[in-house]
Amino acid sequence: MARPGFVLEVDERTPPLLVHQGEGFRLQKFPLGSRVIYPPDSLPRLRGLRNHIRHALDHPHGSEPLKELLTPGMRLTIAIDDISIPLPPMQTPDIRQLVLEEVIELAAREGVEDIKLYMANSLHRRMTADEIKHAVGERVFRSFYPKDLKNHDAEDPDNLAYVGKTDRGEEVEINKRAMESDLLIYVNINLVAMDGGHKSVPVGLASYRSVKHHHNVETMLHSKSYMDPRPGRSAIHDSCKRMGDLLKSNGLKVFTIETTVNNNTFPDPFGFMNKREWEWSLLEQGTYLAAKKANDMGPSAMKHQIWTRIKAPYGVTGINAGETETVHEQTLAKLHQQQLVEVNGQSDVMVVGIPYLTPYNVNSILNPILVHCMGLGYLFNMYRNKPVVRPGGAMIMFHPVPNEFHQVHHPSYVDFFEEVLSQTTDPSTIESKYEERYATDPWYIHLYRKSYAYHGVHPFYMWYWGAHALDYLGDVIIVGGDPKTCERLGYRSASSFRDALEMAGETVGRSPSISYFHVPPLAIADVR
Amino acid sequence: MARAKFTREIRDVAKGWRWGRRTMTPRSALDSTPPPKIWSYPTDWARTAAGRAVRDVILDAALKPIIWNETTPEVFGLDNLEGVKGPVMFISNHSSHLDASIILTTLPHSWREKTATAAAKDYFFDVWWRSAFTALVYAGFPVERGAGEKATSKAKELIGEGWNIIVFPEGTRSTDGWLQRFRHGTSRLALDMRMPVVPIAIVGAYAAMPKGRSWPRKGRPPIRVRYGRPIVPREGETHQQLSLRMQQGVGELFDEDRTSWWEAARRAAKDETPSLAGPVGPGWLRTWEGSRPIRRRGKPPTWR
Repeated sequence: MARPGFVLEVDERTPPLLVHQGEGFRLQKFPLGSRVIYPPDSLPRLRGLRNHIRHALDHPHGSEPLKELLTPGMRLTIAIDDISIPLPPMQTPDIRQLVLEEVIELAAREGVEDIKLYMANSLHRRMTADEIKHAVGERVFRSFYPKDLKNHDAEDPDNLAYVGKTDRGEEVEINKRAMESDLLIYVNINLVAMDGGHKSVPVGLASYRSVKHHHNVETMLHSKSYMDPRPGRSAIHDSCKRMGDLLKSNGLKVFTIETTVNNNTFPDPFGFMNKREWEWSLLEQGTYLAAKKANDMGPSAMKHQIWTRIKAPYGVTGINAGETETVHEQTLAKLHQQQLVEVNGQSDVMVVGIPYLTPYNVNSILNPILVHCMGLGYLFNMYRNKPVVRPGGAMIMFHPVPNEFHQVHHPSYVDFFEEVLSQTTDPSTIESKYEERYATDPWYIHLYRKSYAYHGVHPFYMWYWGAHALDYLGDVIIVGGDPKTCERLGYRSASSFRDALEMAGETVGRSPSISYFHVPPLAIADVR
Repeated sequence: MARAKFTREIRDVAKGWRWGRRTMTPRSALDSTPPPKIWSYPTDWARTAAGRAVRDVILDAALKPIIWNETTPEVFGLDNLEGVKGPVMFISNHSSHLDASIILTTLPHSWREKTATAAAKDYFFDVWWRSAFTALVYAGFPVERGAGEKATSKAKELIGEGWNIIVFPEGTRSTDGWLQRFRHGTSRLALDMRMPVVPIAIVGAYAAMPKGRSWPRKGRPPIRVRYGRPIVPREGETHQQLSLRMQQGVGELFDEDRTSWWEAARRAAKDETPSLAGPVGPGWLRTWEGSRPIRRRGKPPTWR
């Protein structure tokens, strides 16, 4: 049995602890008495994956077996989670590939001919052919790409279907082919509790017209947290559920296949990053030193290449199929088994190391806005019940925050950083004053549809993800952050952790309680 | 600059390096950290003729000169060993790392060459270099604390081969200098093997080098070692009774050190030997009394 997560209290025996900081890492000493939240150990992987997949398809939750849903002459659409999960991308074979192969095999046997596959990238950038091939496997890729295996296009009016409004007036518009299909199969990887469930179809296959109803400041401020999708806790999930229900009542039949992976995030030689520091062997300590030295000395381009090429040796821990909500309950139970850590009470200061990767910079650059999204958005929100840090507390993050952007992937981010953030960092002001213009800018739409750019509105959403934290926290300090860039983001930068604590003292007092959220591998703090 | 940074990195990493299997797990992680793998370090090689020869050199040419230079040991009661037929079990109070060294360096050569020391497996045999040191210098063999019958199997094997053994029945060093409860495993072993038990009192070792110190205090503190008369297990005696007699044996030697042989013998006859459990009171008081420097015998030194 895998060890559960736990909260360490730093004492004099505690060695310096690993902290991620972008494309780098360090050992950092923490003050005595600090708490360190460690994720549970990796759950054992399922052996004989194809058998598990077949079993899930034959014994679905709340649905007939997939075989019975497949009939000759039907229109079948398969939507697939895009490149934003899992992180880092999985070593081949990707679980999506295995699931797809089983599903398509079954469809072929049942005489289904009209099959279309869509990468459910919503307003994310299009995936390249190589990226799609990595996710779906060579056999599926060769059979369907490019005619029948495509990226979803949220700005193609000819291929979007307006479904209607929810009882709260939220407009629902999704991929036309999916809406008009006899069956929509959604193949998901549930890396964090935010993913999956009704967030798959009503977001992954939607247009800006639809997404803007839950990706906004108001919703984010009432999602406490969006990593806790229980009804009433997360406004974004409640909205997605209303949309999912509307789709269902309009005749869309969805067969959801959700998968979960374990915490085996880093391959060798970076395996030491998966382990607790006092359990490092001599070999792992040597590897740390060698990797650190090589990483610090290497040219940044080479460093970037090495980090980008990391593929996670994730093991699959669960495969569930059937009716969306029933499946998602099973998925969340397994996910919590892997990620949930009980934490007793809040702290004055929350410390996180921002790793090199977020959902939106796979094969790309982690720009300052994504640093904000990762820190104040995702990592701050990795909790149930209460945040790790108390209201008005301070958050200390480790990241160099260079002023760097990927010109192809993030063109609107550059303008957002230069034009919007130079005026204000207040999410509500940004939303009311700038969002519409960026979202409807023809050039950004063109780049989104024809190039590999994130949608013009995407940097706004990244900023909104952190809205709750911005509203909640008293201070945000980035250790090692570029001072000018941090200032633009509305943060303060500190040259060392000691300085950061000194600076945080202005907000939280001289002897604050400190919690270091030791991720990745990922954890969800269940704060009591 | 870069070199200094790398040196700092190495130092940081080294803080997590505990010389192999001796873990330094943070206290709050003890429950969730699996215990280090128990492994058995071979020790028989240290009891071969070659091992004994090397041990003699180490004890006589290094350890004894160091101890005699850093402390002022006095030895009494070795005459009690005359006429005793081995193998015997030497038992002593245990309050310092000096204890085993002092016994081995004060035992007559004829006894020492066939004497092995029982040492806690989890402490002395967790890393290869410490295991080798313990095996070679003390003829140490591992005893797994709290392992019951299994713990004494090696001891029985050695006694069967005619080896005397040194055992500290308290199981671990005293943290306040006072005698702790004797573990019954020692008396069980003596009963099972029907072997005489020689009590030893080591007085002053706690004051000289208590738990937590790795070198004796300055000023050549006095240490007195008293060997007592062998205690022979009686017919039908239970291990609890033998354990009590062993404890009394050590207590008498302490009493003798404090007063005189005659007074101690009289008190023992009346069953009035003072307890070695220490004063009743707060922890600091026990430590305070336990660490009280022992009285020096003879003329005070002219020059300090």
